[in-house]
Amino acid sequence: MRVEPRQQLLEIWQAVIRHSYPDDKWQWGGRDGSNSISDAEQLLCILGPATEIDAFTIDEPDRMAKDVQAVLRPLGGLTDIPLRLIEAVDEYLQKYTDESGTPIFSCDSYFGVSADADDKTLLPRQRNQPVVDSFAISLSLSLAAIGFARQFRESVKRRAILDKLDDVEARASKRLTAAMVGLLRCFTVNIFDVDSRDGRALCRTVNQSRLSDRRIVTLLHKELREIRASLRDVTIGSGAGLAEDLELPDRLFECGWGWGIIRDAPAITTRADVGEQQEGMAEPAPYIYFTVVALDAIEALFSERTRLLGLLTEEQQRLAQGLQLRWDLTQSYWSKIAVADFGGVRWPLEDIPWQRTTEKETEYFSLHVSSIVVQDLVRKRARDTDLDRVGRVLEELANRSRITRRVFGGDEAYQLHAPGFTINLNGSDEDGGPRLTWVMSDFAPLLLQRTISLAGLLGDPELRGRMLTLADQIWAHLHDRRLRDEDRRGLWDQPAQVFPPFTTEYDKPSWYYTKRVVDGLMTAADVITSPPLRSTSLTEEATYLLSEADHLFDRELLKGSPSGGQAIRGELQELRIKLDRAWAIRDGRPGTAVALANEILLRLDRFAAARDDDVDGGF
Amino acid sequence: MLIFATSDKGGTGRSVTSGNMAYRCALSGKHVCYVDFDFGSPTAGAVFNIDGAQHGVTGGGLHSYLLGDTADPERIDIFSRADRLSLRDRPPGSGRLVLLPGDSGGGEFPSSRELVRRCATLFDELNSEFEIVLVDLSAGRSYAAQMVLAAARERPEIPARWLVFHRWTQQHIIAASSLVYGDRGILETGVALGHDREQLLGSLRFIRTAVVEPDAQGLTAEQTAWVNDCNAALQGLARDRGAGKLAVLGSVPLDPVLQWREQLITNRDLTVSRIANPQTAEAFEELARLLTDDAAWETI
Repeated sequence: MRVEPRQQLLEIWQAVIRHSYPDDKWQWGGRDGSNSISDAEQLLCILGPATEIDAFTIDEPDRMAKDVQAVLRPLGGLTDIPLRLIEAVDEYLQKYTDESGTPIFSCDSYFGVSADADDKTLLPRQRNQPVVDSFAISLSLSLAAIGFARQFRESVKRRAILDKLDDVEARASKRLTAAMVGLLRCFTVNIFDVDSRDGRALCRTVNQSRLSDRRIVTLLHKELREIRASLRDVTIGSGAGLAEDLELPDRLFECGWGWGIIRDAPAITTRADVGEQQEGMAEPAPYIYFTVVALDAIEALFSERTRLLGLLTEEQQRLAQGLQLRWDLTQSYWSKIAVADFGGVRWPLEDIPWQRTTEKETEYFSLHVSSIVVQDLVRKRARDTDLDRVGRVLEELANRSRITRRVFGGDEAYQLHAPGFTINLNGSDEDGGPRLTWVMSDFAPLLLQRTISLAGLLGDPELRGRMLTLADQIWAHLHDRRLRDEDRRGLWDQPAQVFPPFTTEYDKPSWYYTKRVVDGLMTAADVITSPPLRSTSLTEEATYLLSEADHLFDRELLKGSPSGGQAIRGELQELRIKLDRAWAIRDGRPGTAVALANEILLRLDRFAAARDDDVDGGF
Repeated sequence: MLIFATSDKGGTGRSVTSGNMAYRCALSGKHVCYVDFDFGSPTAGAVFNIDGAQHGVTGGGLHSYLLGDTADPERIDIFSRADRLSLRDRPPGSGRLVLLPGDSGGGEFPSSRELVRRCATLFDELNSEFEIVLVDLSAGRSYAAQMVLAAARERPEIPARWLVFHRWTQQHIIAASSLVYGDRGILETGVALGHDREQLLGSLRFIRTAVVEPDAQGLTAEQTAWVNDCNAALQGLARDRGAGKLAVLGSVPLDPVLQWREQLITNRDLTVSRIANPQTAEAFEELARLLTDDAAWETI
């Protein structure tokens, strides 16, 4: 892998700090302005790696690595660094909590406005609309902040600071609960008639073997039986109480997350104080983009770190169970649809671009579905052949989106990256005001992250190598898209540098983009930390080589060589040590064992060759 | 300000490091006095190259003062008395550097009320005259340490800081930590004498000596990898024993000049004969600066 996560992340940290902490004060905002989502993304560029990768620890100042300390120098000394970050988190939490103590998850400046709207001014109710992006990122930020504060606490003695840490932890925890409640109210199940637009589109997507629609519906019903049954367990929040409709034979469904709180979603009863639960306005239909955002965030709730550090309260664990149920269901649903094998030569996923039930189609949807499939494959510890098929989809997506192919005259495929793919947020204009839109533009970093995690799963060195090569290519592409001017050097994103037809030049960093690149690098660090691939044939080879070496070595001993003088004794002792080492590492690092065995055999052969020379000399 | 320098084991380079710190402090313009309370072996004279005081003075030193035999312990002005050309003549802009030697053959003696009173009076006088009063205690749990803890308790208005020197090895870390936190250690003794534990701990820092830096020259790649690992293990040990980075004031690299010649590193050693590593002198300078840098002594 040519991606060097440590080096790259340090460079990014340096750039983030240079930009965000210019005169001893945290400065919020970037290309999308300052809002609950962008500000959290900005913080997570630092807090993410700091809490997820051991080498980037800063919450235990004693353990901070030298190079890490060096790039964070503008924040101050060893203990100032975590303090300044806690202060920034504190500021964020204050900024996004209203007077009544209710956490704010508003989209504010994050979303755009539909181009065909006459009056583009957003109503306050629209600006304040809580959205999935904010819930999701708040989940990640709160978990990181709680863990960070708790770990940092161990190094602190002063009462005033301890109180502050407790306070930040308590408010982050409240925000976490509120975000979980929010996500439970954004989940939705869209049930539609087989003959509706949605129904026909779903059948078309799944049908890769020209079966009749009737047959496909039957097969789908069978395939999704377990998920339908599990949906009965969804009893709180949005998407509940639909079991009867689901059972009707002429109905199909989709599940996942909408763009915000679903219209008429009931409030969640909870013992925890989460403030007021706002009314939603999102249409009750899953969006694949927001589904991926929610799935990625929710995953952190069941991570090893969350469990080991005991980051969740009892009430949060209860809510987490609710989210896990929806996570499982959604994951399986999309994975089943994407790799549905109804006798065709290809999976629906391989039929690029993916068509949604809204009949919209784009490579972007294919990437999102692949993204869910990769997560599902991780969970199932899938076979290399399946992983490889997804890998080929990713390769083709890189190709079609002009990451690994050049843009030719008149080619518009690059527009997926810049300006991006626009989705309408339906329901946002029902109470007046223009319709909200969201422009997805994180194609490259998302593709990088999924490619690297897929590579990490592959056991076959050749397949893995192919995925890593792809990752390197995507990284090179991303690297070229970094902003170049003095103040923002090392942050993202300047697509004009790789797509000549795109002429817009940005002067502010996009935290949305930079945070996603950081996520990709974190995945890379994770893959590199895991033990190297082990091949059985290599282990076998090492065993044979070492057996031969062992045998020849024993023969030298039997010949009485050690009593033949200091030189030979020293050599044999050294070989013995190398042999022991080779055997010891054979299982974990067979390649290295082979290399050691080769050296031992060569050196043993020098004795044999020398003796042969005796014969040659004709004594 | 009073600075107490102590260590659990001998051979940590406590005297030579604190001597160099005192010297660097004086060069930076502060008036400094170095008080040799290492009663068993008063060798500060050797560090400063004072002829006739290599192992303390004969009569009139600190022993004599504490035992009431003399009212004015002997004072030696380093910049005029040092038997080393490069130390002679106080450089322009620097402060005074005065050594209060012990008596040769004095030995340790148990602390008593009377001794504590005299010791506190001495601190009064020195503190009003010098900006830095560096008191070099002997290694381990000593009567001298007990005495200065008691004297410091009687003079709460004089700011006091503690330096615990240890080499960067497993045994030295354990020993230094036990000197601070262990039975009859500084904290326990201090608390018994009426000190506030947290306050005393807050005014105490470790100094690591003879540290082999992983990026030191002359190490092979394999040695560097190994030293890095050892270093990480030692960091962990130090952290567990309350001597982690947050409790450290600074460290001094392993230096051949210090090893072979336990004396001050002068600017001549750096520029003319070039036998000393500039990093070592920089480390002393940094430590000297940190002695009075309140930010370095803040606890979080």
